[in-house]
Amino acid sequence: MRDRAAVARGRTTILTDAITLNGRRLLIVEDEYFIASDLKRALEAQGMVVVGPVGRVADALTLIEREPIDVATLDVNLGTAMCYPIAEQLQARGVPFLFLTGYDGWTLPEWLRDVPLLIKPFDSAAVIAAVRALCGLERVT
Amino acid sequence: MKAEIHDETDLLETLARKNAVLQAINRIFHEALGATSDEALGRLCLAVAEDLTGASFSFMAELTPARDRLHDLAISDRAWTVFRRAWPEGAEQHVPTHLDLHGLYGRVILDDASLIANDPAAHPDAIGTPHGHPPLRSFLGVPLRRRGRLIGVMGLGNRVGGFREIDREAAEELAPAIVQALGGKRAELALRESEDMRRVSMELVPAMLWRTDQSGNNKMSESQWADLTGQDEREAADWGWLEAVHPEDRVATEATFRRSFARDEPLEHQVRLRDRHGAYRWFLMRQVPRRDEASSATHWFGAATDVHDMHLLEERQRRLVAELQHRVRNILTVVRSVFSRTVEAGGALEDVADHFRGRLDALARTQAIVTQTASGNVDLQNLIRDELLSVGVADGEAVTIAGPDVPLPPRAAEAIGLAIHELAINSVKYGALKCPGALLHIAWSTDGDRDGKRRVRLTWTEKGVPALAISPCRQGFGTELICEALPYQYGAETRLTFVGGGVRCEIALPLQEEGRPF
Repeated sequence: MRDRAAVARGRTTILTDAITLNGRRLLIVEDEYFIASDLKRALEAQGMVVVGPVGRVADALTLIEREPIDVATLDVNLGTAMCYPIAEQLQARGVPFLFLTGYDGWTLPEWLRDVPLLIKPFDSAAVIAAVRALCGLERVT
Repeated sequence: MKAEIHDETDLLETLARKNAVLQAINRIFHEALGATSDEALGRLCLAVAEDLTGASFSFMAELTPARDRLHDLAISDRAWTVFRRAWPEGAEQHVPTHLDLHGLYGRVILDDASLIANDPAAHPDAIGTPHGHPPLRSFLGVPLRRRGRLIGVMGLGNRVGGFREIDREAAEELAPAIVQALGGKRAELALRESEDMRRVSMELVPAMLWRTDQSGNNKMSESQWADLTGQDEREAADWGWLEAVHPEDRVATEATFRRSFARDEPLEHQVRLRDRHGAYRWFLMRQVPRRDEASSATHWFGAATDVHDMHLLEERQRRLVAELQHRVRNILTVVRSVFSRTVEAGGALEDVADHFRGRLDALARTQAIVTQTASGNVDLQNLIRDELLSVGVADGEAVTIAGPDVPLPPRAAEAIGLAIHELAINSVKYGALKCPGALLHIAWSTDGDRDGKRRVRLTWTEKGVPALAISPCRQGFGTELICEALPYQYGAETRLTFVGGGVRCEIALPLQEEGRPF
């Protein structure tokens, strides 16, 4: 029995590893060029198709309207505005997303407190793990 | 029969005397109301006692708390008149204090018993009289007691014909009324003082006070609640005051108060109250139960303090901390990114370190500009000179800087500062600032873009630089900053070319500062 459980576990691991982010479409909203550019590079290296990046609310809303999107990362403070309208649109469309921000969770409005959040500065491995979790490929730990 | 007539006369006399005492007691209580101090009441009582006994003057004194001395409470008006006559220039106007327990009045205290001395000078306790005191020909001393406990003495002097037993009896019967009147006056004065204290406190403390009974009926103090909310007493009664509570706070407030009532517990609750103009302000509401002897609450005392300004300050501080965190974390992320790019560009470790240090300094300068000039603008010419100076270049024959006064909003200054730094570093390493005889010209002007928004157009032109096989600037961090980051982040239009003779860079940057959140 024990052996079979171990085998089963091993097989599961192999299966999840086999499912990749390859080809999934990711929207990046981030007003800081270098951060946006780093994110793009890291996630493209996972085979993702990056939509954007964009740094403004209006541009993001236009992309959501026009492009198919599977998952998104949002910076909270976009310099000239907060990202809340974008979050609202994504929620309305059932697109999972996470926040990459310098703010702590408590500063977010109530209705966004359940959204996963990574605090800057972040590690690209952590972002990839979080995006995989949003795509249902991994459990959030 | 004779005996009966005699008895009847005695009876009538006794009745007359009792009646006189009753009238005297009446007078004391009647006139006590008007007395403004216990000393004034003391003088009144002494006048009544003099009238009753036929004494010429009198005083009364009270034992000190330590009970080893006497504190003079009052000297009668008649006594003062006699003193003043005997002592015309400025007789002592103050009632003496802390008298030793000696003399005839001391004997009354020590024995806790009345004393008649119709030949005072011959009495074993005689100590004579102070200067200005009229000669003492007869003395009647009566103890003053409160609930059976000795508290002082009343001394009466100089009755024509000396004091009789009936005078002693009359004085003894009057004494309890005097003690009671004095006690009542003191309680009244203390109450008035505490009432004054309460009124002053209410004026000084920015709080609304209330009293609530067991059923939750409120009795708001004075008109504070009405002044604030515009609700009258009737409207505020029976939980009607909840109408003045912010709708979002109402349910929680009612629940908190009901819990406090149900559990006999003090409460502390922050709440927004609507003022008569419809604006909400934060108040701290506190309420404590008052208990009876069975220790269950009979009613509650409450106070609401205006904490609105404090609330706004706290909120502002929270937001400032959040903003600071945001900025620090963001810049750390950018620094991390700039570091990776600088390392990726390769080169000797020393060069990488130099580049990174230079960029870090440029970032620090622009950060300082952004934070220090949050409301103001940055002078473009100064900004350019500072960036050139940071790489050891001043304008002169080889370097010319020309343009109108342009106040740059902070974000534009940030963008141009970083771009100028990259251009200057490149120029020092490979361009006009390295080659003798080469020229650098930096110029700018302002114009409107297609939408008519004002923008600054800056050109960086190098001339006389020998052609390089490979210009590292083409692939490096500087190129990415100017060609990618500036358009992405600041909405700039940029052009970077390597024409014969050196670098040419054009940057058109919107001057319109879009409102940043917070």
